[in-house]
Amino acid sequence: MAKKRPIKKTPVTRHAAVKLTPRDKKTLSSITDLADRVVSAAKTRKDPYVDIPSRTLSNVRFSPRKGILEMGNSKNRRQLFDLSQAKAYMRTMLVASGCKRLLDQGKSTSLRGLFYMLKHTIEGAKENTFDDQNECDTIIEDVEVLLNSIREELHLYAENRGAMVGNIVLTDKGDTIDCARMGSGGYAIPSIVEPEVIELDPKKCGAKFILHVEKGTVWQRFNEDKFWEKHNCILTHGSGQPPRGVRRMLHRLHNELKLPIYCVLDNDPWGYYIYSVIKQGSINLAFESQRMAIPDAKYLGLRSIDFDRCQLSDSVKISLNENDRKRAKQIAKYPWFEKKRRWQSEIQRMLKNDFKLEVESLISKDISYVTEVYVPERLAEQDWLD
Amino acid sequence: MGDVALATAKKKTVKKKVRAAKPATRSVKKKKVKKKVRKKTPSASADAEMQHSPAASNGVAPKRRSTAKAMAATQRDISVSEFFAKNRHLLGFDNPRKALLTTVKEAVDNSLDACEEAGILPEIWVHIQQTANDRYKVGIQDNGPGILKKQIPLIFGKLLYGSKFHRLRQSRGQQGIGISAAGMYGVQTTGKPVKIISKVGARKPAHYYEIQIDTKKNEPRILNGKGEGVDIPPGESGKAYIEKHGIEWVEQPHGTRVTIELEAKFVRGRGSVGEYLEQTAIANPHITLNYEDPDDFVYTYERSTKVLPPEPKEIKPHPYGVELGRLAAMLEETQGSTLSEFLTSRFSRVTSPLARRICQTAGVGTRTNTHKVGRKEAELLFHAIQKTKISPPATDCICPIGEDLILKGMHKVVPGEFYAAATRPPAVYRGNPFQIEVGLTYGGSAPTQNISKDLLLDLLEETDARTVRQFLVHTFNGLGGEGADKIIKTASIGTRQTPSKLKPKEIEALFTAMKNVNIAEGQSMEVLRYANRVPLQFQQSACAITQTILNTNWRSYGLSQSRGGLPKGPVSLMVHIASVWVPFTSESKEAIANYPEIQKEIRLGLQAVGRKLGMFLRRRLRVKQQSDRREIFLRYLKEVSTAVSEINGVKQPELYEQLLSVAKRRTADADMKLDERGKKIQEDPTQLDLGENVLIVDPTQHEAAINRVEIEEEPEEAYEE
Repeated sequence: MAKKRPIKKTPVTRHAAVKLTPRDKKTLSSITDLADRVVSAAKTRKDPYVDIPSRTLSNVRFSPRKGILEMGNSKNRRQLFDLSQAKAYMRTMLVASGCKRLLDQGKSTSLRGLFYMLKHTIEGAKENTFDDQNECDTIIEDVEVLLNSIREELHLYAENRGAMVGNIVLTDKGDTIDCARMGSGGYAIPSIVEPEVIELDPKKCGAKFILHVEKGTVWQRFNEDKFWEKHNCILTHGSGQPPRGVRRMLHRLHNELKLPIYCVLDNDPWGYYIYSVIKQGSINLAFESQRMAIPDAKYLGLRSIDFDRCQLSDSVKISLNENDRKRAKQIAKYPWFEKKRRWQSEIQRMLKNDFKLEVESLISKDISYVTEVYVPERLAEQDWLD
Repeated sequence: MGDVALATAKKKTVKKKVRAAKPATRSVKKKKVKKKVRKKTPSASADAEMQHSPAASNGVAPKRRSTAKAMAATQRDISVSEFFAKNRHLLGFDNPRKALLTTVKEAVDNSLDACEEAGILPEIWVHIQQTANDRYKVGIQDNGPGILKKQIPLIFGKLLYGSKFHRLRQSRGQQGIGISAAGMYGVQTTGKPVKIISKVGARKPAHYYEIQIDTKKNEPRILNGKGEGVDIPPGESGKAYIEKHGIEWVEQPHGTRVTIELEAKFVRGRGSVGEYLEQTAIANPHITLNYEDPDDFVYTYERSTKVLPPEPKEIKPHPYGVELGRLAAMLEETQGSTLSEFLTSRFSRVTSPLARRICQTAGVGTRTNTHKVGRKEAELLFHAIQKTKISPPATDCICPIGEDLILKGMHKVVPGEFYAAATRPPAVYRGNPFQIEVGLTYGGSAPTQNISKDLLLDLLEETDARTVRQFLVHTFNGLGGEGADKIIKTASIGTRQTPSKLKPKEIEALFTAMKNVNIAEGQSMEVLRYANRVPLQFQQSACAITQTILNTNWRSYGLSQSRGGLPKGPVSLMVHIASVWVPFTSESKEAIANYPEIQKEIRLGLQAVGRKLGMFLRRRLRVKQQSDRREIFLRYLKEVSTAVSEINGVKQPELYEQLLSVAKRRTADADMKLDERGKKIQEDPTQLDLGENVLIVDPTQHEAAINRVEIEEEPEEAYEE
């Protein structure tokens, strides 16, 4: 640790000459603007404040025309001279300065990296700027909406989560990646998949559609059975709720390569919501919907009728708990589900069943039932929810 | 008819006797009378039966157990001392523990009364020594005027002898039989005589007596100097004599010392001698008390004022406060005057027009000679008095302690950070003027929490306590055994450890425990009750003071209080009632009776100090919030200014200064905010203006919190030079 410190300090000057992309310049100017407002407020003896667009359900609007969630106009004012907000204000400024440093040096860091960069004990107090990474992550999202710059533009990335495999060749930071030759692990979808990093070429893609599954274990099943080879598709997973990198990748594949997307998720409220996030965007990151939501995504399974349809044994049922029921009712009331009769009956059926089904439950029929029978049948019948 | 006459005749003689003697309390007298009557009744009926007996003697009369004549042989006078020797619980000698306290109390009260009457600033020495397992020797000395030689045996060796009984005037000593009873108790339980030494002036000889009380005759029996006592000459020869005979005496130009050895039990805490003396020091800030307990701990309460309380005036009774029997007796006593003269001269507040009006209402002529006023007229007069509007009695006969001195007294003895006092204007119950005073202490942290490490080391070194527990209990006032146990448990050191042999690690643990253990947790209000400056230590729940405290809503003054309980928190409350006649619930003089007038005054006094406490607590809370607020802003300003300067290269110190001034203005705004009453809120709690009669101190600077053992300096050095 002792060695690292001096090294860290010198690059500040050395990398001052780093070449900035136009996007970096735009981000930098909005960060500087933020700081300038503090200075001018201090000069005129006024309270410094920032107005942060609010990221709550009440400030999210569903646009039926576009089929995505959009952020409303309501904002929360965060003031330095307000007891409950002073600390959050200080943290906002710290994150902004941290991002500025990253931009200056032309480097990017993980969310956790930034957390460690900014975490220190406040002078003259027994208090830390941040105690927990979650505290930092929330502020980063605040800064994203505040500066209207996404995380990637702030040179931040999250942990890689999710993988893909399939008949496609792409370029990742100059390296050519053949996703058909990725072995059992697949290509880990990076957190930042912007065109500067990942280049997609329609000519190098032979796949006809994308099959997105919920988690790695199911994905393994499909990969081992070479589902993507047989059906000529791209196979992805997002380790549960897909991170932004996966969603952005799906979005680009869908829009740039014109590939339809089918999802195979668990039959429970969380599975429904994963689909909802892929399709319309999430409430928390509604400002990113434009870049991530895929209104054409289809929900292939599992359905609440599958227990009867596939004649599954009783042992695979997982009964709903109170939390599940509450969440299901909540989801049924979301505007983007409310008007869809088939979705309403789907959710009602699950509540009536009073149990949920995981994708793995199909294994009780046969190990490869899901890849050899279930998905091909649904695709052939074009039996999905929209 | 015959027996009634007999009974009244007897009553009269008893009364006369009592009056000729000395302070007996009213109730004691009553009891005695009752007893006499009861004893007399069977004999009276025997008399009546005797007259029938000749007629009955012819028949087969049931065998008589005794005759009147035979019974008369066993009927005789009971000496006051015999009566009290049998009924010593009436005087507070019910058990060995209380006997010790009562002895000290009677002696100290007498000393204080004597000093104040003589106009001397009192200084009292109390020494208690253990002589055997259940025997203690108690010595009490004052710097009073001394007692004349011939009076000494009477005062200390005869029950009901003294000066205070007949006058209606505020004094401690309604306590009655007093010191002679204590001496009698000592003689009875140990057989050791009472030793008295008294001196009236520096150049006068000191008189030394060893006395036993003759309970049969209620007379003193002098044991030394062939029944004459001993005169010790002043100067060196006297000193030598005192030394040679082992007489205990602190050298003083004048004063009296009484030494009594008695069967007793020494305790600490509630109802102890220590508590009594401490409370006495609070209510009597003009006295200096030196107290040496059986474990050789020395407590000194220095006086905080050099002004003696004004001398209380004697007053005539107010008509409202006089009962029918007393009125009749007064009429009888008065020789040859008119009724009008009688009323105006023997009572306070009765003018001649008023006397005329009373007589008119009663239907008795104003010029009627008092001799001719019979029972019937007296009763008419009594009712007329109750119906007539008479202005309340003069109240200047009462000497309250005063708010200022209450504050001083409490500050000296009770550690705390907030003190408030209220002296109510005098009021009247049943024609007796009285005055209520209330003092309140709100103590910050316990003394154990304010201690520094160095001071702890010093204290550990100088203490002579045998165990750590003892050390804690004796060194820190108000800690108590429970608190000490808590600390020792937290420090996880042995209770029986010797303080001086603690290892550095253990001292460290003790120190940390003292800092961290919250003694005040679950502590309820401590109530100190006083009547005419004398602490009341027993029957707390029966007392009007306690009941009024319980019925007051302390929650509105910022204290927590469960239903029907004493409020919680580090609070001490003293309530003092000063009156020419304090209404006690019983002869034990330990609780004040529930007169609505008294309760009302107590309640108003409590509310007065309560309001001040509420203001203090609320403002302290608000100030704390404000300073928290400023602190939070200041804490983050540096971070913000550094972050901003990193982003746009602005000069950090400059921005910081600018932000700082904004912050100051912002919090100054908050400081200027008005409280509920539209007054500006001040910042520093010690600068709060809560009106008069409030004392706010820094609790860490409090000297009463810690008892230090005085290190004796060697006087020889001074002589050598």
